[in-house]
Amino acid sequence: MSRETVEIEQKYHIPTVALAGDNVVGFGLGPNFIYNTGMPTRFVGVPFPFSGQPRSVLAKYVAGKDMVSGKPFMQAVVDALTKPRTAKEKLSGPAPDAPPPEPRLLAPDTPDNLQRLFMQRNWTDYNPVILPTEEKVAAMLKGTSHRPDEVIKKAAGTFGTHRPFTVEKVAIIAVMAGAKPEYLPVLLALSSRVPYSDSTTSIAHMVVVNGPIRQKIGMNSGMGALGPDNEANSVIGRSMTLIHKIIQGYVEGVTGFASLSNPLRYDNLCFAEDEESLPEGWQPLHVQMGHKPTDNVVTIFTGWNFISSMSSIKPHYAPQMAMRDCMSALSGMASTLILDPSVVQLLGDAQGITTNAMLADWLAKNVEKTAGEYWGNSTVWTVLAPLARQGLKPYSDWLKLPDDALIKPFTSDKIHTVVAGGKSASVFFATDLRPDRGTSIDEWA
Amino acid sequence: MDRRKMLALLGVSPALVAGTPSFASASPGPAPAAASSGSNDLVTVMNPGIATKYALRKPLAPRLHTLEGKKIYLVDTDWDGQTSGVLQEMQAWFAQRMPSVKIVYKMKRGMFTTDDPGLWKEIAASGGDGVIIGVAG
Repeated sequence: MSRETVEIEQKYHIPTVALAGDNVVGFGLGPNFIYNTGMPTRFVGVPFPFSGQPRSVLAKYVAGKDMVSGKPFMQAVVDALTKPRTAKEKLSGPAPDAPPPEPRLLAPDTPDNLQRLFMQRNWTDYNPVILPTEEKVAAMLKGTSHRPDEVIKKAAGTFGTHRPFTVEKVAIIAVMAGAKPEYLPVLLALSSRVPYSDSTTSIAHMVVVNGPIRQKIGMNSGMGALGPDNEANSVIGRSMTLIHKIIQGYVEGVTGFASLSNPLRYDNLCFAEDEESLPEGWQPLHVQMGHKPTDNVVTIFTGWNFISSMSSIKPHYAPQMAMRDCMSALSGMASTLILDPSVVQLLGDAQGITTNAMLADWLAKNVEKTAGEYWGNSTVWTVLAPLARQGLKPYSDWLKLPDDALIKPFTSDKIHTVVAGGKSASVFFATDLRPDRGTSIDEWA
Repeated sequence: MDRRKMLALLGVSPALVAGTPSFASASPGPAPAAASSGSNDLVTVMNPGIATKYALRKPLAPRLHTLEGKKIYLVDTDWDGQTSGVLQEMQAWFAQRMPSVKIVYKMKRGMFTTDDPGLWKEIAASGGDGVIIGVAG
């Protein structure tokens, strides 16, 4: 919201006050002001939570105190528009001070002290890291043909939109996470997707690797693919967490406010697809996204939920019906099904569903929610109600429905499949994880 | 409940659980060097931190001398579908306590993160004196 206040104040010279929960106020007056907007927006703080509160409580908030100044709320609003600017609020041009430099090498210290320093600077996941000596980083850089000083991206997340990060910085993180040089192209591709989505609603990510590189670097797509039982899966997933924290600058409670956060963020659910088990007619994920079968691609998914089928498929209840049951609990915006190869086989042999497109079509036609449940999800409301108000169908029609009316929230293009697992049980996970378009790993080899 | 019966109900063979061998010794390759060595030897390591710059400072617009008789826009971001209640309570406060203030309520187009430059232009063109925008959470 600071962006809007900056535009209104700077371009049109109209005094503006921003209303926000205290988490946003802290971000707006802290990192966002210092590194991004440069304007000390005047905020008035609304008590949290206001989402889901009845009108009577909201009335008390407005009649109560401003969470920033402690003044009566409405007095603070009036003051924000009328109190003369301070010297700090009139400042223009370069900031009077500068951020501390980041030398290429840290001051020599003992391993224990360095471990503590890395934790204090939010450079770890609070598990010990491998200390990135020059020798280890140089060895890591042998995993790519790209120069160490090549800038991967300049827009790097929260702490400023103009700081470049290089191949060498990603190699340092790769060492810290315990990666092998042959993983580096995957990590460079992952880092090129920064910034990753964050939300107070506790977003998570999933990382899926497709193409021949899966086998070359020893990723697991079989038994236990989603667990902590494979070096490449675990380390690549952990690396993404460190990239998120170090390069993007995610600091819980400072630049990000995931209320519960999400345990998937420890390793970002990183695994490879079992392309070899796909029957004819089933496309691997990267091919679903338009890549060639021989391309090496990493896909980042964003979502919240991860629902297990809990038990094997039984003969009297078809797999797609069990998937439908799980998906009806999801928001309806997108879904990715993680299927054991045995489920894919059952779908074909017993149900005549022989392609992932057929499965997506069946689910799009059969997953239902009430309009009340659909619009009752605040993320659905935040993202799709504006489109509904602008007349975009089917959302504009659904917004007019009574709460108990049934809708089919998924379209087949929003349902994706990934196949992995050990064929020891006919199980699946239904998720609301939404894929990006997939990023080439080959470009970073 | 007896552990054996409970496992059977879950479809798990108690014998399988009891007899699961450890494969830890079959792990390939040596483990990475211990992160905490307890050593007092000094080590030089590379810095993962990313250098950044502070943003150029931008001044606030001059403030109003008073709100009396002014046109103030209440801009609703529709965050979480919950913000209009707060803004409507504020509108009611102005009507009761500062009735000479002309309040104009507008809902921003798009979702809360989407810019709406057309609305800012409209506010300026229509002689808006001030803007209250919210609520973000």
